[in-house]
Amino acid sequence: MSSGKTKLTSRQKRQIRNNMTGYAFILPNLIGYTIFVFIPVVFSFVLSVMSWDGSQRPMEFVGLANFADIFGDKIFRGTLVHTVSYALMTVVPTLILALLLAVLLNNKLKGVAIFRTAFYFPYIASIVAVGAVWNMLFQPDFGPVNEILKFIGISNPPRWVVDKDWAMVAVSIVSVWKYMGYYMIVYLAALQGISNSLYEAASIDGANSWQKLLYITVPMLTPTTFFVLIMLTIQCFKVFDLVYVMTGGGPGNATKTLVNYIYEKAFTTWEFGPASAGAIVLFAIVLVITLIQFSGEKKWSKDL
Amino acid sequence: MKKRQLMAALMAGAMVCSSLTACGSKPAQSQESQGGGSGQAEDAKSDQAADSGSETKSDGGSGSSDEKQVLSVTTWDNESSPQFQAVIDAYEEKNPNVEIKIIDTSADEYNNSLGISLSAAQPDPDVIWVKDMGSMLQMADKEQLLPIDDYIAKDNFDMSIYKGAAEQLMYNGKAYALPYRNDWYVLYYNKDLFDAAGVEYPTNDMTWEEYYELAAKMTSGEGSSKVYGSHNHTWQALVTNWAVQDGKNTVVEKDYGFMKSWYEECLALQDNGYIQDYSTLKTANIHYSSVFKNQQCAMMPMGTWFIATMMQSQEEGETDFNWGIATIPHSKDTEAGYTVGALTPIAISAFTDQADLAWDFVKYASSEEAAEILAKQGVFTGIPSEAAFKTIASAERFPEGDSNVEALNYTHYSFDRPLDPQIEEIRTVLDEVHEMIMIHSYSVDEGIAELTERVAEIKGWN
Amino acid sequence: MSTKRKVTKIILYVLLIGLAVAMMVPFYWMVISSLKLNKDVFSIPMRWWPETMHPENYSVIWKKLPLVIFFKNTAKLTIITTIVQLCTSCFAAYGFTKCKFIGRDLIFLMYVTTIAVPWQVYMVPQFILVSKMGLNDTHIGLILMQAFSAFGVFLIRQFYISIPDELCEAARIDGLNEFGIFRKIVFPLGKPAMATLTIFTFTNVWNDFMGPLIYLKTKELKTVQLGIRMFISQYGADYAWIMAASVCSLVPIVIVFLSCQRFFVEGVAASGIKG
Repeated sequence: MSSGKTKLTSRQKRQIRNNMTGYAFILPNLIGYTIFVFIPVVFSFVLSVMSWDGSQRPMEFVGLANFADIFGDKIFRGTLVHTVSYALMTVVPTLILALLLAVLLNNKLKGVAIFRTAFYFPYIASIVAVGAVWNMLFQPDFGPVNEILKFIGISNPPRWVVDKDWAMVAVSIVSVWKYMGYYMIVYLAALQGISNSLYEAASIDGANSWQKLLYITVPMLTPTTFFVLIMLTIQCFKVFDLVYVMTGGGPGNATKTLVNYIYEKAFTTWEFGPASAGAIVLFAIVLVITLIQFSGEKKWSKDL
Repeated sequence: MKKRQLMAALMAGAMVCSSLTACGSKPAQSQESQGGGSGQAEDAKSDQAADSGSETKSDGGSGSSDEKQVLSVTTWDNESSPQFQAVIDAYEEKNPNVEIKIIDTSADEYNNSLGISLSAAQPDPDVIWVKDMGSMLQMADKEQLLPIDDYIAKDNFDMSIYKGAAEQLMYNGKAYALPYRNDWYVLYYNKDLFDAAGVEYPTNDMTWEEYYELAAKMTSGEGSSKVYGSHNHTWQALVTNWAVQDGKNTVVEKDYGFMKSWYEECLALQDNGYIQDYSTLKTANIHYSSVFKNQQCAMMPMGTWFIATMMQSQEEGETDFNWGIATIPHSKDTEAGYTVGALTPIAISAFTDQADLAWDFVKYASSEEAAEILAKQGVFTGIPSEAAFKTIASAERFPEGDSNVEALNYTHYSFDRPLDPQIEEIRTVLDEVHEMIMIHSYSVDEGIAELTERVAEIKGWN
Repeated sequence: MSTKRKVTKIILYVLLIGLAVAMMVPFYWMVISSLKLNKDVFSIPMRWWPETMHPENYSVIWKKLPLVIFFKNTAKLTIITTIVQLCTSCFAAYGFTKCKFIGRDLIFLMYVTTIAVPWQVYMVPQFILVSKMGLNDTHIGLILMQAFSAFGVFLIRQFYISIPDELCEAARIDGLNEFGIFRKIVFPLGKPAMATLTIFTFTNVWNDFMGPLIYLKTKELKTVQLGIRMFISQYGADYAWIMAASVCSLVPIVIVFLSCQRFFVEGVAASGIKG
């Protein structure tokens, strides 16, 4: 692009050619992305103010009525509560356990790879198989979990997935079990980035391992922890499949989450308007979390 | 919704002529049915055939050349029940130039996936087996079904063979479907379990109270080897059906107080452990057929479609215990023989590109010839005839003993749900409240109050 | 000192072994239950080792469940989606980093603004769109809807940025055209990023449940997850069969995972750090 002003025509030619090649490279993705992502995203906002059942009948503009509808629906309000409680029960335990596992595995031990595989494996396992086996483990009358609880002296163990007060707890337990391996790997990668000299310096000062963990590892991992926190929270708000395979949103509506609600409205009762309104609510939540992430990232990048 | 008045007029008319689908061997004697509706047992039928499965012999798209025409049909759980395949095979044999492409989905996804292809106005499927009356109304209302009046008129088609059932399927004065099957509820029982316990088999004249006692008596064991006295699947129909069995009420009422005692009895069965816990069945998504086939229950109230499923299961050697059929129990104030049921219509998609061929298939599938073929498989069709009934009773895998044959008789037949334009919406409410009552989230009274209120809201009664 | 270190090491091992065993218990239970008789799955007291083995459960479900078809479908969807995603992402990333053209920043902004939008937000209109194209209940529909992601472009672009422009300039002077530069220089250098994206897409598509749940209805088109799910809803009370089916569904992913474990771990670490 440094050719002089004297060769305007050839520069123009080159520019056109550059434009062409540039577009040629991005076009395959751009077309697909526009059709299958960008347009649907825009359309999602449009649908949220429309009334439509998917039939040949034209859609009708209803303004914010869909939002009024869903917020007036106690099932929808319930899904918000359930989703938040799922997030509360999942995020912190996953984070702590992932960190703990990563710290343990960050030692030079024989067989580390085997342990890493064992912890990571639930993440790879298909959700349907995982849901099926945990549903049986949680079987209230004679399932292994309750048999163990009875064995250690809890005479009246919870009825887990069939009890409306415990079902979400059960789902959260499975979620922690399934996803902590993934975040463990993220932590492991971050741990490997911490320079050894810090630990050596601490050793010279006579710090024990616990102190090193508390005063070096954890602070050094703060950006990662923040990232994991954000990712986990967003993931919790998007939860669908684990709930769907374990409880189907029940008993009653006790484990119905935001995405379950969107799914049911859209694909079983064909109310695209309220479904999209629910989707916009999800979008707003994720947007807020993402904005927090951006401001947080700015802060870390300034600090470091 | 503007059509509501017309609808009401139609319903009234239907009520007067009370031409109910008098299927079965004996013509129904008192047919005041419910609002002349052909109810639907979405739930009940929701799995007519038990196990899902399919057999999509799909090759080739829609009819491409003049040598072979391709007609696509939608079915559910085709693998586990001969109800569709038998007719499809027979039609293909009669019309060698026609190839039937089966689009099979599992029963619980059927309406869903059908709705998707219809809302996309796709040319496939051409022929639709409609799982329940409610969804037929919905599809007709969305103009997704082809009215068949012209074909009926052109072919001079005799609708009287259905003894009034076809008229039940009209919507806004137009015919959209022909009755393919008719099913009603009976009580299945496991003879081996009764023999082992030394208890008399259920009879064809049992009150519900006697049934409850029998369920208590037949419950034994624990852990996964526990045998439950009876089995109630998660459908609300398995409580509300008995509440409307006497024909005095329907599931669309201004006051649901009449359901109270039925819910209390069902909860009592559940809480005493005589039937499996609702939440366990629901969360683990347990199909009723696997419970009965695994001999985990001694009795099970279920629709007549399950006869064909059991016969096929025994034929394939999947199960080998002895089973039997009894008339569904009745309440104290009615006599034996009162039952509840529903129709399965067959219709043509409004977006078909093979309308004439589709009509030909529909006509054949609901003909007397097809009825005879289906009867051999243990399927009751929309054409009530003594001959078909005899064929079913004499089928090889049909349980032995006259009582089983007698069990199929009924004196009074109520549709499980009335033909109401808003029945699908009401059904959702019924399902939700049913679940809340069964998991003890609502007391029975709270549930009934909510039902009354929400249905009134849908119907615009307050 | 050294004895102290030994003690910590032993404690560490005990801790790790304990945790690993706890993590694997559900899988162990799955396997032993799949070898029991139905009625013994929940026997009281619990048995951690079946008295008699019943491997015939596997032959039963093999007959009842067209697992091979399901695996083929899943593999097909996963492989095609991954390849399409990989190719288009690399192309686009090259365009965004090494080419200058009008509207580049604007288009990139479009990608950036939508990258954080969860799929669940637009899945409904996307589904309507795909159905209107007549592609619902087809593999093509499902592939197209997943094959174009802003994340992929982003990930590869981050990597391509780190490739010095001088390298491309030099090649340009040598007479290579843009496609040549891409193919001969940038593309080969971008392999680590591609490995990350491959693993990411592969696991996502292979384990995707909701996409196929919405899109695929015909049995012959279903994925392993949907197939197993369908099996469970039919044979809900046949516990041993369900466990056998679950075990079968895990076998291929176990094989893939164990043989490419290194890539999995590196992939997670890379995409994780980048965010």
